[in-house]
Amino acid sequence: MRATIEVNGLRKRFGSVVALDGMSFTVEPGRVTGFVGPNGAGKSTAMRVILGLDAADGGSALVGGRPYRSLLFPLRHVGALLDAGALQPSRSARNHLLWLAHSQGLTARRVDEVIELAGLRQVARRKAGGFSLGMRQRLGIAAALLGDPPVLILDEPFNGLDPEGIVWMREFLAELAGQGRAVLVSSHLMSELQDTAAHLVVVGRGRVIADTGVAELLATVSGDRVTLEEAYLALTRNAVEYRATGQEGAR
Amino acid sequence: MRRHLHAEWTKLRTVPGAGWLPFAVVALTVGGSAAAAATVTCPPAGCAYDVPRLSLIGVQLGQAVVAILAVVAISGEYGTGMIRTTLTAMPCRTAVLAAKALLLTGVTLAAGTVAVLGSVLAGRLLLPGNGFTPAHDHPLLSLADAPTLRAAAGSVLYLALIALFSLGVAVAVRDSATAIGVVLGVLYLSSITIYLVQDPDWQRLLYRVSPMNAGLTVQATTGLSTLPLSPWAGLGVLAAWAAAALLGGGLLLRRRDA
Amino acid sequence: MSTVTSYLSLLRAEWTKFRTVRGWVIAMAVAALVTVLLGLLSASGSHASCSKGAIEVPCPAPPLGPGGEAVSDKFYFVHQPLEGDGSITVRVTSMTGQIRLPDIEPGVRRVTAGVVPWAKAGVMVKDGLRQGSTYAALMVTGEHGVRMQHDYTHDTAGRPGGVSKESPRWLRLTRSGDTLTGYESADGERWTEVGTTHLAGLPATVRIGLFAASPCDLLVTRGDFGGSVGQCRFAEATAVFDQVSPQGEATGGSWSHDDVGVSTEPDGTPHHPGGFAESGGTFTVTGVGDIAPFVDGETVENTLTGVLAGLIVVIVVAVMFVTAEYRRGLIRTTLLAAPRRGRALVAKAVVIGAVAFVTGLAAAAVAVPLGTRILRANGNHLLPVSLLTEVRVVVGFAALLAVAAVFALALGALFRRGAAAVTTAVALLLLPYLLATASVLPLGVAQWLLRLTPAAGFAIQQSIPEYPHMTGHYAPQAGYYPLAPWAGLAVSGGYAALVLALAVFRLRRRDV
Repeated sequence: MRATIEVNGLRKRFGSVVALDGMSFTVEPGRVTGFVGPNGAGKSTAMRVILGLDAADGGSALVGGRPYRSLLFPLRHVGALLDAGALQPSRSARNHLLWLAHSQGLTARRVDEVIELAGLRQVARRKAGGFSLGMRQRLGIAAALLGDPPVLILDEPFNGLDPEGIVWMREFLAELAGQGRAVLVSSHLMSELQDTAAHLVVVGRGRVIADTGVAELLATVSGDRVTLEEAYLALTRNAVEYRATGQEGAR
Repeated sequence: MRRHLHAEWTKLRTVPGAGWLPFAVVALTVGGSAAAAATVTCPPAGCAYDVPRLSLIGVQLGQAVVAILAVVAISGEYGTGMIRTTLTAMPCRTAVLAAKALLLTGVTLAAGTVAVLGSVLAGRLLLPGNGFTPAHDHPLLSLADAPTLRAAAGSVLYLALIALFSLGVAVAVRDSATAIGVVLGVLYLSSITIYLVQDPDWQRLLYRVSPMNAGLTVQATTGLSTLPLSPWAGLGVLAAWAAAALLGGGLLLRRRDA
Repeated sequence: MSTVTSYLSLLRAEWTKFRTVRGWVIAMAVAALVTVLLGLLSASGSHASCSKGAIEVPCPAPPLGPGGEAVSDKFYFVHQPLEGDGSITVRVTSMTGQIRLPDIEPGVRRVTAGVVPWAKAGVMVKDGLRQGSTYAALMVTGEHGVRMQHDYTHDTAGRPGGVSKESPRWLRLTRSGDTLTGYESADGERWTEVGTTHLAGLPATVRIGLFAASPCDLLVTRGDFGGSVGQCRFAEATAVFDQVSPQGEATGGSWSHDDVGVSTEPDGTPHHPGGFAESGGTFTVTGVGDIAPFVDGETVENTLTGVLAGLIVVIVVAVMFVTAEYRRGLIRTTLLAAPRRGRALVAKAVVIGAVAFVTGLAAAAVAVPLGTRILRANGNHLLPVSLLTEVRVVVGFAALLAVAAVFALALGALFRRGAAAVTTAVALLLLPYLLATASVLPLGVAQWLLRLTPAAGFAIQQSIPEYPHMTGHYAPQAGYYPLAPWAGLAVSGGYAALVLALAVFRLRRRDV
């Protein structure tokens, strides 16, 4: 299966709120693609549409050329981390991965492999209800990797990780991309993305504002040596939905 | 205490579904009573029905909705984790529980009064058409009649006590589905165990102890001497169950981590 | 093939989901436990003893008919032997009786003249006088006209109406080998056949003659705590026969008379005896008792009354099995793993249904043997039923739990809120049953509740059928349901399937 995500003209509204307004982009294999934008820009909605959880009003989202809902063992094609807290508190981490594995026809051996990969060996048999935020993130990554998928979609993977975890994640993502997978990472940590992502999709108000390599983005925004954060803020200034008052003066 | 009440009232009236649950109490109670009044007939030879009790039979349906109302008033907080916010804002846990209890009592008394009045009205309108006429020793249902008034007022109190019992169980159990299962199980199962044993002494004991049977004795207006306990004593048994549940729940609330 | 594999993987995943939450597994075990405990409690509380005068003695076991069922075989028989083929013809000119009324003053007996609907008098061919032996009888009844009955459970109708001196009834019962045929006539000339039966294994020598019997008068009143209580008071029937002509070998001699099945007081005198008088070819026979199935005993399903407690626990677990996913957003992970949403929900339903079924089987496997042992130790007699019926009761009990689990799961998926789903499931499954058995609702309403609501599934537990040719307390609280066993379970299953379909529909259409 080609490791790509193709989003074409996605449209969706929730009542009177327009969440997606003709969003189109492609995620290619072999590199980490950052998915950034202000709060409410439609990032999470786009991810949920790609994964078949929400239905779009118009447009299409294909994974490896096929819609998600048509995949027979989907976790073998796409691994996703959307909400690390989506766990049954009374179930152990290993058992959580176990039922996921069984649903894809995978074995307990694979479960132990991803537990090892995610560094959860010490806490695997503990109840998920007692996990810290960072441990839940690692569990979510483990779940995404269970099917050894060529496509990965991660929503805020750095959230809650301690510094050691952040370094691990950064290196891990680079390694996964290096293996030829298509990795889509949504994040607000611009400093991390600057080092990790090679390509960037910037969205605002349900639309794609920029779909370029990180290097080109930094080059096109004029001025002295500029960080990704500054470039991003410049790009999305007009697309921000919520802004706390008292910050206008800082601009 | 005032601010506890105010906070709990704001929480209660903004929970989705809080608006229509009291209506459901009224609808099910009146509906059940009306259905019974419309289907039970008194043959010309006469019948031995306890008419006020018959017209209040819908209370047995409405009590389930009252239990739901009480359970969601507290379980929703545990389910969403909001209990931590609540207890951080109002650290005195007993006061929080007392405020919830007071509020629930008020809401249930209000809804219950409307429900019971509606049931009595339904009985008054429908029963005479089914043979329950003064000629058969069944005068028109009227609240001016002391036993009927006692049955009606007692039923309203019954509903409030069911709410308090459910609140206590829900605080102790925390999960809404389990709490409702325990409440309905205790209520309905304790009322049928009487039919499972045949020893009359055991039956009387089980009747005296069962919250639903003892509590509904307050509705009885005929054959009072044959009942194992007097109407108000029966309501007292239910009050004891509610008090025990609230006490147990309150102790657990204070001692447990949130 | 891979669609099947994917579905099997979903089933395996849902089973893993269930068994890895210890609370749910323990709760199912508790469901089995409370079912067993409640059933045993009910069995311990059921005692039966009979009094012979002032002494309490264990009740005698009822005789068994040719089909193995418990029967009542008590009547007054005026008979002769018959070798091989033959017949008997009689004319019945009157049928009267007396019924005892409830005492107004304690100890003062009141009787009134009258016959109960199923009082019987007529002619019979019977294999000896042993209670429970095979027979065929052609009779007039109190209110059901001419009937032909055989082997306690079979009944055929003849012409309706009673008998009197002005309109007597002629009855003829002929035997030819194993075959018995009954004829009736209004004038003794033109005969109409009432029915034909085969009595397997009927020996060459049988007893042929006249009989009379009257079952007790059943009155159903409301119990002290609601529900209802049946009272059966003494009644007897007296019939006058003339133009009695038995035909065949070994008949034509003197008549023997026996009060079959009569019980005796401690001092040896018969209790409620029948009687017989003959004068000039006219026979007056008086009988007390009934020739019908005996249904006044404990049944195997009485050990499973704990089903009500078990159902509540199963409902709670089934609802939690699905609402737990909604509460923490785990539903999204499930739908990522199984984007064919209908299949995911059906896999959940299959798993919880199977778990509930096994739980039910385990509970019944303990409750039935232990319960019947306790019942017998308490002096009760269990009404015998065929092995197939017992298996049906046990399997049906487990199936009822499974249907309830699927129903509750579907409601949980539909409402997405635990308390509402549990209450609705309990209200639709248990409340109609409780209202029908333990409250003031009239019988008609109670039966409609048990036909139309999901509580119809309780009918699967009925082991003793309702016999139309017997007056009985055929009400839900006595264990008689309006629908046939599997039909009742099908109604419940239909509701479960309907709600599941609605839940799948809702799941497919919504964003998650």
